[in-house]
Amino acid sequence: MRAAGLDIGSRTVKLVVIEEGETVLTRKGLTSHDPLEAARALMEGVNYDTIVATGYGRHLLKGHLDCPVISEIKAFALGAKAIYPTCRVILDIGGQDTKAISLNEAGEMSKFEMNDKCAAGTGRFLEIMAAALGYTLEEFPKAALSAGRFEKINSMCTVFAESEVISLTAKGAARPEVALGIHRAIVSRSTTLLKRIAPSGEVFFAGGVALNGCVETLIAEDLGRPVFVPPDPQMVGALGAALHALKSGGREDATP
Amino acid sequence: MSRTVEPLINDEYTGGPPTKRVLARLQEKRKEGRKVAGVYCGYAPTELILAMGISPATLCAFSNATIEAAETVLPANLCPLIKSSYGFIITDTCPFYGLSDAVIGETTCDGKKKMFELITDLKPTWIMDLPQVPDQEEAIANWTAMIRKLKGFLENTFGAHATDDGIEESIRDINRRNAMMREIFEFAALEPSVVGWRELYDLTFLAQGSSGKDMEPVLTEALRKLEERRDGGYSYGPAGAPRVMVTGCPVGGDAEKVFAIIEEAGGVIVALDACSGFKPYMTDTAEGTGDPVRALAERYLKIPCSCMTPNARRLTEMTRLIEKMRPDAVIDVVLQACHSFNIESHKVGEHVEKVHGLPFLKIVTDFSLGDVEQIRTRVEALLESC
Repeated sequence: MRAAGLDIGSRTVKLVVIEEGETVLTRKGLTSHDPLEAARALMEGVNYDTIVATGYGRHLLKGHLDCPVISEIKAFALGAKAIYPTCRVILDIGGQDTKAISLNEAGEMSKFEMNDKCAAGTGRFLEIMAAALGYTLEEFPKAALSAGRFEKINSMCTVFAESEVISLTAKGAARPEVALGIHRAIVSRSTTLLKRIAPSGEVFFAGGVALNGCVETLIAEDLGRPVFVPPDPQMVGALGAALHALKSGGREDATP
Repeated sequence: MSRTVEPLINDEYTGGPPTKRVLARLQEKRKEGRKVAGVYCGYAPTELILAMGISPATLCAFSNATIEAAETVLPANLCPLIKSSYGFIITDTCPFYGLSDAVIGETTCDGKKKMFELITDLKPTWIMDLPQVPDQEEAIANWTAMIRKLKGFLENTFGAHATDDGIEESIRDINRRNAMMREIFEFAALEPSVVGWRELYDLTFLAQGSSGKDMEPVLTEALRKLEERRDGGYSYGPAGAPRVMVTGCPVGGDAEKVFAIIEEAGGVIVALDACSGFKPYMTDTAEGTGDPVRALAERYLKIPCSCMTPNARRLTEMTRLIEKMRPDAVIDVVLQACHSFNIESHKVGEHVEKVHGLPFLKIVTDFSLGDVEQIRTRVEALLESC
């Protein structure tokens, strides 16, 4: 059976198809202003027997494809468990929210915490801050890691933090030092969530922000705990959805 | 619902907001010549107000629409319930406030206390000084004195009177009302439940300012229908749906979005553990003590509001309710900037998870619809873990 998982996030849409325990296809696109069209474009020419959707757009797809949905939290728990079976702590920083999930000994979700409703300290926050400093997303973490000291960013609100960055650059602060300050701000937010749900253990770090090497390094430093980033951290939710589809055969009531 | 059944209250207001039914009843009372006192909170002693021949009216506090107007004066970073209440008054859109001859407030939280200062010159208003370490002897003595002072205010404002015998009779009447309400809640305790949150909420809202005598016919009929539902094998919600207890801040009007999301995610709400839900009906006042005002003071100080400290009663009452209603998960609804419920949520979560072994979720929200999808993700993840 070919099982597909579709993760419609706030910034990107991800598709994973699995067959006989192997990932046979992964695709990624931008969500844009029309997530349904973005999902359709991604699924163009893809064959599958069963599909499950997750992410913020999951209910949109449910209305059009009549496919079952699971929450991102469950999807990340399933995906992470498949990639790293012994990991019990998951951090997912996506485009508009941050989730910290702890798993029990059986690898099932036991607790989760999410950021407040605004995009403070998420991928979108990093994108806007990088743009404010004139960095690309690739340059941004490298510049931050090159700084010997950092400028403290006090506000976690994307709008206020941008004003702070503008004030700092206007005062002549070094760009890499401001960049490191921004990374530190987002990391302290995430580690607070992690400490609340799981005081110890290795952290499985997924979502688009896991591509940022500076965030990864600072989380490990701040927690004093190892951090594991899977090879394709943005695909974990879609993989979890595909695994759920495989297990349930498309039936919503079956739980893996 | 597995099939349609006759609504527990079947009148022209069925299916609409419960406020319209209550308003019609109050307008009738008004026509009979009764005075109306607007109240904001469960600490206003209903028994005394009714004993004095005055009808209590719960004032509007649950609409997002009046918040914009309120924010011309109040800070934006304030509890939506307080902003909405104030907005209703300055835009003159709360019909209950319009009907009220006087307003009774209590020093529950800082936001309300300071908001009351801005409305006291509009109508005769009486603020009761609520003790917040309720188990001390001085607290009961002070609250007894405050209830007596309220009686004096109502006497002076309305020329109304009540004897100790009259207050005692009112206590017995409200105790009967509360006992009948608890009988209603027993039908949500059934597995599966035979009643949804909307009907429970309609009844708790209607009963709040009503006497036992006025509620008796409504509750008798509702209980008969509930027995029929139970005996006919009716169940509310999908088979095997997770049972949810909602606790925390008062929820109504635009905050009902949380209830709707829980049902859309496949849950059935079996307990409304808030002042807008079951709380006013869970404790009775001692009868025949010879000092009915002190008996009222003792009963009202037992309300486990987060403005009290250390408010251990919140947890013991919650345990009682969890054991009776047997929820599969507990959701704590905190209104934005309600510091006392927000901080207390930590204790509540630990209690729910460690003592009862149930999954727990805290939701911080306001009256806008901007966070519906974020709340939905959290609620769905919680119910997936049940």
